[in-house]
Amino acid sequence: MKRKYSVMAVATAVVVGGAMVAPIAAQAAIPSITIWVDAPRLPGAKLYATVMTGKVNVKVELHGQADLLAKVQLFNRVKKGWPDVVFGPPNDVAVLKNPLINNALNLDKLLTPAEVANFGHGNDWCKSATGTYCVKNDLAQTVLWYDTTLFKQFGYTVPTTMDEWAALGADIAKNHPGYSLGAVGDQGFYASYLWPSQCPLNQEKSATRVVINTASPKCTRVAKLLQPLVDSGVLDTRSYFDAGYVKDVGQAGKIVANIGPSWWGEFVLRPAGSFAIPAGHIATAPMPKWAGESVAYSGEWGGGIYTVSPHSKFPRQALDFAIFMVGDKRNLVTVKNPDGSFGAPTFPAYTPGNALWKAKVSSDKYYASNPFPAMLTQSSKIFPGEKPVRYDSNGAWGAAFAPEITKSKNLQKAIDAYGAYVSNLAQQLGYEVTKS
Amino acid sequence: MAKKQHYKHNNGAMYLMLSPYLLLLFFFGILPAIMGVLEIPKPSMANANGGWDAFKIVIHDFRFGPALRHVLGFMGIFVPLMIFFVIGMALMLDIKHSPWKKWLRMAYIVPASISGAVAVLVWYVILQPTLSPIKGVLRYFHITESSQIWQQQNLVYILAIMAFFAAAGNWILIQYGSLQSISTEVLEAARVDGASVWQTAIRIKLPLISKYIVYMSVLVFAGGLQIFVEPQLLNGGIYQGIADSWSFDQLSYNLAFMQGDFGGASALSILLLIPSLLGALLVIFKTDMFEGAQGHIKKKDVEIVGI
Repeated sequence: MKRKYSVMAVATAVVVGGAMVAPIAAQAAIPSITIWVDAPRLPGAKLYATVMTGKVNVKVELHGQADLLAKVQLFNRVKKGWPDVVFGPPNDVAVLKNPLINNALNLDKLLTPAEVANFGHGNDWCKSATGTYCVKNDLAQTVLWYDTTLFKQFGYTVPTTMDEWAALGADIAKNHPGYSLGAVGDQGFYASYLWPSQCPLNQEKSATRVVINTASPKCTRVAKLLQPLVDSGVLDTRSYFDAGYVKDVGQAGKIVANIGPSWWGEFVLRPAGSFAIPAGHIATAPMPKWAGESVAYSGEWGGGIYTVSPHSKFPRQALDFAIFMVGDKRNLVTVKNPDGSFGAPTFPAYTPGNALWKAKVSSDKYYASNPFPAMLTQSSKIFPGEKPVRYDSNGAWGAAFAPEITKSKNLQKAIDAYGAYVSNLAQQLGYEVTKS
Repeated sequence: MAKKQHYKHNNGAMYLMLSPYLLLLFFFGILPAIMGVLEIPKPSMANANGGWDAFKIVIHDFRFGPALRHVLGFMGIFVPLMIFFVIGMALMLDIKHSPWKKWLRMAYIVPASISGAVAVLVWYVILQPTLSPIKGVLRYFHITESSQIWQQQNLVYILAIMAFFAAAGNWILIQYGSLQSISTEVLEAARVDGASVWQTAIRIKLPLISKYIVYMSVLVFAGGLQIFVEPQLLNGGIYQGIADSWSFDQLSYNLAFMQGDFGGASALSILLLIPSLLGALLVIFKTDMFEGAQGHIKKKDVEIVGI
């Protein structure tokens, strides 16, 4: 009896084993990739995994944007574990392509001419003298967001110059105290004012030289023009995401207008958990122009990138994921997000994807008027002087600028504090810091 | 002969009981320290050519000075506050037997059950003028906006308060325990000689528990020097950037994981090990902390027991 059972056990094991072996053999032909994304990109990535079933084995992992550098350095130590393709903040490309970290593949040979053409200037951020080290997910160019209901009520017209913007602020302070033109206590101040004004802060000129000069007239004019608005409280010294600002100003419907990135409407103004501005209020306009300038430049707040690891065995398949995210209707328009909205919230950097996103946003009844034209105008006007740098130029807004503006409420002092901090960081990482 | 064998047997059991500790000490104490030292001279973005310059580079880091100032300021408040408050509370608790005592002891242990990470949240709510349960008190001091509280120059005080409440309760009970170990004959004798409660506390009890106080001071010092969780959580979770590289441990973390400078991070960690190690050696060799359970047992007795 006993013997019979063991024979049966062996037979069963063989059968089971055989069944197991067959799919493994079949799978070996299918490429496998691991994807890292943050929460807003997660629904699209999960969708991609199901779309590719049978063609590519896709493993999706959720990671905070700040996780990558720490993890990659640990993977470099143990020489395994690198994800194939990663969504990350725009500055990561400078760090990742650094030979010591070496986790951004040069995509020049991988991108097809059609793909290069479709990105156009939208991918300039990722290019350097030696190659293309990432592809842009979205452009985060700043535009002027305003509340049409409040504009009508107060009898305002949309400002087209920065002087008109300051005059608007002065009028709000005088006639409608409590209303706001936004906040300046975070990175938004850089994207909305300093970068469009061409203030040299992170202007990498080569791998060993960066220009940082907060005494430049392009920087001081920002502080001079806006300091009265800070003094009167029309520009709040808190961050846009400060719980108090969200409650007292954002959700109270007291933002008359603010300069913000292209994702501002879908991500900050609209969601119920955020400012929750009701439908029919919000419209966009092109950036106001600085006096004496010929172009009304934008800055960028965010505008994520995809990097492919040089350790990936399937770099083309990894890149395909990025192209899906920026060019496929299923991600840009139809995928359902956890908050009930549909499609990607950000302005795609890829022309075919952009057309799809345009169709979605333009017909959206939420906006008082079509917000797309102003975004399109500004998408080709992002001031190109600011570059990805090897130090954490974005984190420094929290570490150096925000504490100083909270303490002194003095814009120039806070800009100087930022400049001093990033100069230190830059020198430590092997840059020469120059004034021009 | 029989006696000797008895002790030998004891030694075997001793090593057996010690072995888990020795294993942990080796794998999580000694081995990482050796690896850390070996890591220091390797090249990094900040130390392109490698070498022991890593120490110099980390000391000249623009965040080293501020971190030193922050940590010293924090310890200047936290350490004396802990020592005086804890000893004072323990001595008071020891004065008289009363049915209230066990409730009092529980009252001390409750705040101590809030660990550093949770304390950040608790104190955030207490100090946030819009949420605070002590709004009235804050208003009395004209604090109505969170920006008045969450400023960098206030952090030493805020973090000292957080750390104090998280740690004080436990130490009060430990020192109360050490006071319990004082022999009643000594206290009786003091009383017969006419010593007041105050005199008994200062002249009799304090000298007898002094080695426990030194022990506590060293541990509180080492803990304060390595403050990490509270400022790191404040920085990442509550006010982005408010306490970036605020303490040495945070700077070391940033060097390693934000800048990829493992060598610099190791150099800083080894530097931090030195004061803590000196403290530990002080406890072992300059106090009789580890020479017997009872302070009044003489060294000779201990040696006899140890044979």
